[in-house]
Amino acid sequence: MATREGRLGLGKNQLEDDDDDDFPSKGGSNGAKPFLWAVAIVAIAGAVFAGLSTADFIQHLDRQVHSIHCSFIPGAAKEMGESGCRTVMMSPYSSLFRTSMWGGLPISLLAFAVYSYLAYRSIDFALKKTLVKKDTLFLVIAFSLPLLMTVIYFYVSTQLVGAVCKLCVGIYSTSVIGFVMALLAYVKSDQSMASPPYVRWFFEGVAYVAVLVLVYLLAAPTNDKTLEGCGTLAKKDDPNQILLHFGGGRGGSPAIAVLDPLCPACKAFDNRMIVSGLRDKLTMDVVLFPLDKTCNWNLKESLHPGACAVSEAMLCSKDEAPKILDWAFANQESLIEDAKADEAKMRARITEKFPSVRGCLGTAQAKLKVTKSLKWAVANALPVLTPQLFIGDRRVCDEDTDLGLEYTVTAMLAGPRAAKGGH
Amino acid sequence: MSDNARTLALMGVGLAVPTLLVLMWMGTAKTSLAESKGAASGVAIAQASDDTYCTPALKQILRRVAGACGLLQEGGRGCKPGDAKNVAAMNGDDFNALFLPLKHRVKIIQFDAEQTVLDDGATSTIEKAWADQQGASFFFVVARASPDGAADKNQALSQARAEAVLGHLTTKFQDPDLKNEVGLLWLGEEYAQLSGDFCDWQRSRVGGECTAKEVNRSAFVAWIDCAI
Repeated sequence: MATREGRLGLGKNQLEDDDDDDFPSKGGSNGAKPFLWAVAIVAIAGAVFAGLSTADFIQHLDRQVHSIHCSFIPGAAKEMGESGCRTVMMSPYSSLFRTSMWGGLPISLLAFAVYSYLAYRSIDFALKKTLVKKDTLFLVIAFSLPLLMTVIYFYVSTQLVGAVCKLCVGIYSTSVIGFVMALLAYVKSDQSMASPPYVRWFFEGVAYVAVLVLVYLLAAPTNDKTLEGCGTLAKKDDPNQILLHFGGGRGGSPAIAVLDPLCPACKAFDNRMIVSGLRDKLTMDVVLFPLDKTCNWNLKESLHPGACAVSEAMLCSKDEAPKILDWAFANQESLIEDAKADEAKMRARITEKFPSVRGCLGTAQAKLKVTKSLKWAVANALPVLTPQLFIGDRRVCDEDTDLGLEYTVTAMLAGPRAAKGGH
Repeated sequence: MSDNARTLALMGVGLAVPTLLVLMWMGTAKTSLAESKGAASGVAIAQASDDTYCTPALKQILRRVAGACGLLQEGGRGCKPGDAKNVAAMNGDDFNALFLPLKHRVKIIQFDAEQTVLDDGATSTIEKAWADQQGASFFFVVARASPDGAADKNQALSQARAEAVLGHLTTKFQDPDLKNEVGLLWLGEEYAQLSGDFCDWQRSRVGGECTAKEVNRSAFVAWIDCAI
């Protein structure tokens, strides 16, 4: 506890310092200091989590696939493959202004700036010789921003994206703990009559965010070559009627998606198309390209066992194909497991769910339809991967089908001239 | 250090650290982007099957047969024994040997003596064979007749058997690609008769007697997994 004598002994310095010109009441503020240091540590932890998340996002600006951090422990080893962290990062909610710049402005960058600011501000408060309630009140209010964002993004993550990112959970935790610690620091700090420079502190925080955003915008790598697309369809005609018409917005531009119903990347792609509103701008046809060696001769090993059976079902019942695809996306893991264990049972499960495919699924005609769909891919010399998207005849480059999807498709729809203005 | 100086120093460090980190990460991403060749640069391209049994010699024969029999141009004209023998430029046993690596793909559609009617086993076997196209580009129907009876009659008989198979495929599947994919050869009794060893192959009639005579009253159907 600081004594009155001690505080009075600071007299000269206090006059020079805007922050310390308040007049603390009896009792001192040392009781708040441990909580302020706790706030500082929590803010630094939040900055580390947000920083790692930002680093993961930025490394994907090279349009390649990378391993990403996915741990509650900051600095733990990165991991490849599908994870909640990747799903969240690739979701349209992970960044702002996605149609204006490739990948958009990552939310984690804003969190990085805010936590860095909070770390600075809480350390500064903790080092102050005199501390009053109005100081710590600012910290409480400042921490309410990440707390509010935590509530919003926890809802988005669990209810809209359907996946939770461990780094995000780290950020959520630091916002809650930081807010509580700031609140305790406020309770333990002294009353004061003086008014701290709230406006200056607020604009310091704004400056942190503005500087990082500006640096990001100026330094983000650009590559508009891919807006011209990566190839065109050589044989778009469909004599075997294997295109599935999924429709879309009225007057939407024609587009073709090449999908595997049991491919997680296709599920994520479909979700991005819907959430971003791009599906409403396109009149979508779907070509099935199951990455399952039971029907796809281009593979030596099945990537998604059971995908041939689901594809047969979709081609058997074209009217129900969108419903079957949604169901397959929602049950990918269990369908793959069923197919690995006993494909006949998995086929029975499809028939039970969609009785309209009964009498068709598993027949020579159904198998041939899938073969024709694969032959369409051969005729157009498509790469053996999913998803793929064609806007008109132009193929969206694979590196643009995740973070850059909104920007690329928007630019391609607007035409080559509009695309050149992009970041 | 005064409080103001401390505040300024802390603020500077607090801002500089994230700024420098972002600049560093961006620099790495920029370099990586400049060096990248595109996400799909190493990805295989979807293509028709070209199985390991498709040796250059086999492909040459298939190309000759398919070309001479009209398959590569207009489709479905078919080859009679003389054509097949000439374009294959080999004896019957060597011709049959070409198909040995396709044992898992070939199905032998059997007919009654002097008949061209497909029974239930025959139709379902043809449908199974046709549905198992996978990446193959050409479907060969090689029809024969046993040596019983006159050669010209057997030639007509084998032609009718080949056409019965084609007719069933046309009716059943109404496939617009069929014309460009099915090649017919009718060999009668004159060329490339099958030995009794072919009784072990997948036949439309399971069980029952099978000798060289029965197995030659047949149409030999298979998708050929060779890109010719």
